[in-house]
Amino acid sequence: MIKFTKFNLCALILGFSFLYIPIVLLIIFSFNESKLVTVWAGFSTKWYTELFNNQSIKDATWVTIQVAFISSTVATFLGTIAGIVITRFGSFKGRTLFSGMIYAPMVVPEVIIGLSLLLTFVALTIDRGIFTVTLAHITFSMCYVAVVVQSRMSSYDDSITEAALDLGCTPLKTFFVVTLPIIMPAVVSGWLLSFTLSLDDLVIASFTSGPGATTLPMKIYSMVRLGVTPEINAVSTILIGLVSIGVVSAAMINKYQKQKEYVQS
Amino acid sequence: MLSKYIFNGRNAVIAVPYIWLLILFLFPFLIVLKISFAEPIIAIPPFSSFFHWDGSFWPTIQASFYNYVFILEDSLYLNAYLSSLKIALISTLITLVIGYAIAYSITKAPTRWKGLLLLMVILPFWTSFLIRVYAWIGILKTEGLLNLMLLSLGITDQPLTIMNTNLAVYIGIVYSYLPFMILPIYANIEKMDGSLIEAAADLGCRPFKTFWKITIPLSIPGILAGCFLVFIPAVGEFVIPDLLGGTETLMIGKVLWIEFFSNRDWPLASAVAVILLAMLILPIMYYQKSQEKAIS
Amino acid sequence: MNEIESETTKLSSDKPYIQFQNVSKKFGNFTAINDLTLDIFNNEFFSLLGPSGCGKTTLLRMLAGFEKPTNGRILLEGEDISNIPPHLRPINMMFQSYALFPHMTVEKNIAFGLKQDKLPSNKINQRVDEMLELVELTEFSKRKPNQLSGGQRQRVALARSLAKRPKLLLLDEPLGALDKRLREQTQFELMNIQEKLGITFIIVTHDQEEAMTVSSRIGVMDSGNVIQVSTPNNLYEAPATKSVAEFIGNVNLFEGIYKGFDDIGTKLKCEHSESIVYSSQSIDAKNGSKIWLAVRPEKLEIFKSPPDYKYNILKGTVIDIGYGGSFSTYHVKLPNGNMISVIRANRERTSEKSITWNDEVYLHWSSKSAVVLTE
Repeated sequence: MIKFTKFNLCALILGFSFLYIPIVLLIIFSFNESKLVTVWAGFSTKWYTELFNNQSIKDATWVTIQVAFISSTVATFLGTIAGIVITRFGSFKGRTLFSGMIYAPMVVPEVIIGLSLLLTFVALTIDRGIFTVTLAHITFSMCYVAVVVQSRMSSYDDSITEAALDLGCTPLKTFFVVTLPIIMPAVVSGWLLSFTLSLDDLVIASFTSGPGATTLPMKIYSMVRLGVTPEINAVSTILIGLVSIGVVSAAMINKYQKQKEYVQS
Repeated sequence: MLSKYIFNGRNAVIAVPYIWLLILFLFPFLIVLKISFAEPIIAIPPFSSFFHWDGSFWPTIQASFYNYVFILEDSLYLNAYLSSLKIALISTLITLVIGYAIAYSITKAPTRWKGLLLLMVILPFWTSFLIRVYAWIGILKTEGLLNLMLLSLGITDQPLTIMNTNLAVYIGIVYSYLPFMILPIYANIEKMDGSLIEAAADLGCRPFKTFWKITIPLSIPGILAGCFLVFIPAVGEFVIPDLLGGTETLMIGKVLWIEFFSNRDWPLASAVAVILLAMLILPIMYYQKSQEKAIS
Repeated sequence: MNEIESETTKLSSDKPYIQFQNVSKKFGNFTAINDLTLDIFNNEFFSLLGPSGCGKTTLLRMLAGFEKPTNGRILLEGEDISNIPPHLRPINMMFQSYALFPHMTVEKNIAFGLKQDKLPSNKINQRVDEMLELVELTEFSKRKPNQLSGGQRQRVALARSLAKRPKLLLLDEPLGALDKRLREQTQFELMNIQEKLGITFIIVTHDQEEAMTVSSRIGVMDSGNVIQVSTPNNLYEAPATKSVAEFIGNVNLFEGIYKGFDDIGTKLKCEHSESIVYSSQSIDAKNGSKIWLAVRPEKLEIFKSPPDYKYNILKGTVIDIGYGGSFSTYHVKLPNGNMISVIRANRERTSEKSITWNDEVYLHWSSKSAVVLTE
């Protein structure tokens, strides 16, 4: 009964154009022969070759990937526990503070989080480097994971857990054998979310990183400040391409699995 | 006896994320507070220590309110705080209008398109935030693509100066934070009971009026969630005003960065951070309360 | 209160299997269960019956271990189980929402409890096959719950809860989601299974017809208290209070003043009748106090002309007739405005003597058919 009107179609087309035009332009001009963004001088992949020969970019990419992988995995572990505690553990001493700490990092400005963590590392005399950046990323990522898991758990049928307990399964085993498999899609999307946030973070990394641990966003930022070169476009295009492939394959795997289940019935 | 085992196991589970957050989220704020009372000195680290031992057993506390006085007396900082609030507020409102329109339109789209549309909303978010802001530089600068298009179409005869102005910052914030506004609003409208709209129509209410009187009021929780997710971080934004804004774009995130990295005045930067946090503490608490309510 | 012997006395020679002793449960300020004491015996099919919010599900969950009593004890075969967590209790439960594990097949769902006991796999397979046969789902063993109908899911839930051969099975409104025919069929299946396997069943329901059909005894609950525990027959024919009488089946209640007890029975003076009305049941009440007379609709006789009885006669007008095929329900209005229901079997296909709307009629009941209540 609720109609999809012309206004709605307009809104969607304009909205998505707004979202995607910058990205599309970025990709197009990564293949531009000339350095300028406004003049198309012919198709060329020279920026990509220059990119390949740029050691500092390659180092930064490697640092970023390490940090992203490790921090997402640990953050998913901590965040899943936090999400379950918030939804299923009822009231306990210090619950208000706990839930405050879970939601706050999503809204507190990054400069504040970055500054506070840096000062903490200094106070604890921990040398800044890849280790501290990872710790910082784990801290704010776990909150996003917690929110994703919490959202999934709020529609989770509690009586399934009770049924498992009733049949003799200990609470811990129930979590691993019953709850976790059921909420796994949410846990995985939490991991992906953490990975993206880590990959993308500039401000917190700038504060908490150290010599030899320049992340890719930090490198890109310094490149942007120094002057616009299409090497950045090339990096961006590669990133966008990788992400799109990842997302599309995840969607296809999901569809394939659903079809498999349907056929089996 | 067995209940004690469960008691301990449960506490251990709660403790793991709890302790992590205490040490790496809460404790750092206390350190910022402490350092805000220090003075900058040429040393590593570049600030005076809080506790000062001068022979006696108990340390004396070296704290000065100098930084706070400095901030409150210099109109630059006050203007920066106010300007940040203003820019964040305007950006949030623009994001709300655009985001609501998109979210609402997605809920009315045919079901098989909804998943794809949502994916398309989220996809830019998966790509680098920094890169997308950078993309706008190429579009908005004087020799950029927007001006190129406007000039060649004859809409203007002079290139528009958008880059390095507040307008560019607005565009940047709206662009970057749009998914954060769309998703909560979409989730809220999608879960709404469709029969309420049908009931209103049945009672003679025209579609536009139904939208104003029923849909929008019922979507207020989603609107609030989206606005908090945009407004609060936007107040402290750094990257967007730094790359797209101009010298007269005063945002407190930029001020903090400059104090810290360029002026190496860690105590002053800390004081700036403390005041910023104090300004935002009420919205942050309100947001956290609304999330807790949503669970129970 | 009731002169009819209840089956409880026959069973009370055995030791109770389950005992609730002065159990209370509070949620904040709200008292869900109020100082409740109840005994349930081995091999019973026991129902907890009551309206929504009476506390019956809370009581069941305390027995399963998902809620802890605020006060009091719960004993199983004489042992206090109040502090034992649910996964260590020898009790199994069938959930209202079925709570099947969505990521496991029917087989794996049924085998789940057996795997927790670490039985050898050939024994597990054997028991699973037995259960599948019992609920007639053998061909569906490899399906997942989302590929089954509602009735099939219910049977998987039943099979899963019986797989461990528990001595006690708790069922939380198990038939609520089924349509009428399936519900009736399943009621008899449950009774057969209970007898065949010799398990004690405790079922929670708000449907009094269901409780009456399947139970050996029913505990009627209201607002956290057990009002009466007895066999279905007893509850129907000898309710202890007005609320029980009204909750189970239909009843006509007459309010009146207690006028003593003579050789006919308890005398009641009520405003509906010029004469005194009687119940053959004796009652413990003070002269002049308020009591009620309860008569079930099928126990009333209806006549077009004054019948030849000395007492228990009421005069009224037929306002409405509900035709139910094998029986008819007459709604008769008394001069003071009260409505009485009378149910009579339609013994003849047609009759000139049959009663119709607006007829003046006379109602009568035998004193043995009436019950008196003080509350």
